[in-house]
Amino acid sequence: MVERDKIELLKDILFTDDREFAEKIARRIETIEHTVNEQEKLSEKVKPIILKQLDEFVTEIPTTLGPTITATLKEEIQKNRDGIVDALYPILGKMIKKYISQEIKLLSEKINKQLSAKRWTTKFKSWFTGVKEEDIILSETSSASIEQVLLIERGSGILAASYSKTETIDKDMISGMLTAIKGFVEDAFGQKNQNLELIEYELYNIHLQSFVSYYVAVVISGDYNTKAKDKVQDLIFDFYDDFMGKNLDKIFKSSDEKSKKMIDRESLEKELVLKFSNASI
Amino acid sequence: MQVSKKIVVLGHFGVGKTSLIRRFVEDSFSDNYKVSIGVHITKKVVEISVGHEISLILWDLEGTDDLKTIRDAYLLGTHGVVFVFDVTRPSTFQGLNTDLEIVKSKMPSLPLLVVGNKADLVVKKDLEEVLSKNAIETDFLTSAKTGDAVNDMFLKLAKLLD
Repeated sequence: MVERDKIELLKDILFTDDREFAEKIARRIETIEHTVNEQEKLSEKVKPIILKQLDEFVTEIPTTLGPTITATLKEEIQKNRDGIVDALYPILGKMIKKYISQEIKLLSEKINKQLSAKRWTTKFKSWFTGVKEEDIILSETSSASIEQVLLIERGSGILAASYSKTETIDKDMISGMLTAIKGFVEDAFGQKNQNLELIEYELYNIHLQSFVSYYVAVVISGDYNTKAKDKVQDLIFDFYDDFMGKNLDKIFKSSDEKSKKMIDRESLEKELVLKFSNASI
Repeated sequence: MQVSKKIVVLGHFGVGKTSLIRRFVEDSFSDNYKVSIGVHITKKVVEISVGHEISLILWDLEGTDDLKTIRDAYLLGTHGVVFVFDVTRPSTFQGLNTDLEIVKSKMPSLPLLVVGNKADLVVKKDLEEVLSKNAIETDFLTSAKTGDAVNDMFLKLAKLLD
């Protein structure tokens, strides 16, 4: 027996287990290779079936999962209404803004197309005042209307008199809250001799006109444009000048004049109705 | 003619100012905005004698541990003040006399009632002892929970304002 054969024999004796292990691994690799090759073949057959099933699944979602999804969404909306509104508000806001811009554009175009004698008057007005022709026409068809007027004592927020087209919550509390808001804003910005002049509330505007001892709050619905604002200011100034101004001695009293007769609420309210109820703005 | 008077209700956090007013007014609308601007306003008409009414406009100011920080704008034109403390929490009345000095400096010469609230939670004898120890004089000891002395307190203030 040559040396090499002896070594081989020795290797056989020593590494029997290793060889068996190596053979086992080789068999496994062979099986895996076989499986992989078979899977490729298998996938060719299975793929169209899966795709078809997927298509069917997608088509059937509205009937199978639809009710569940709808129920879940409804539940979520009920649970977290504010959160959803918060999330949708900016998106809806942009959409509405875009829609309104578009509508205004269309309206402006329509107005531009109108040819009438009035057009020349408007043109002249526009040239004279520097305000756009479209804006003048729009302001002339303003839908603003006065809903409520409150005469409020500055500081205390005590309501002196009011006029209202419709019933609202307690006017004394409105006066107090308006005064608190006014005080809060004026305080927050810390600017002396500056007053909060307008509160916008979706479809309403609250015009605030401050005087020394009182301020007037006018609630306006509709399109509150510059022209309407001018008219409201004129009405307030007229009211204050005509009535409050002429009755100053009855409105203010010093501490030693406690018995002095004050203007009663009824007279003030009559005057408010007279000035504001039929006013067009 | 019904006269309206502005009352401010002051005191530390959680002494029961809002509960006192709720108990007195009975119905009030949401006070959510108290969180936003620090004030909630309610109204109650009180008959101080037969046929003679006075309308109390109650300004419930947000509780604060430092009365100096109260917005002056909310105190303007005030006719009367209610200062509330919690009889169960010494921290709300230990500095009471200093607090009252601040209130008086901000609103001099106004009718002011000092009210110890949550009186239902303590034994009267013990309470009197504690108040006396802290040199505190109260006008009313109330309980917003049971309603004890709440109406009397506001009625007294209304009469002081008349």
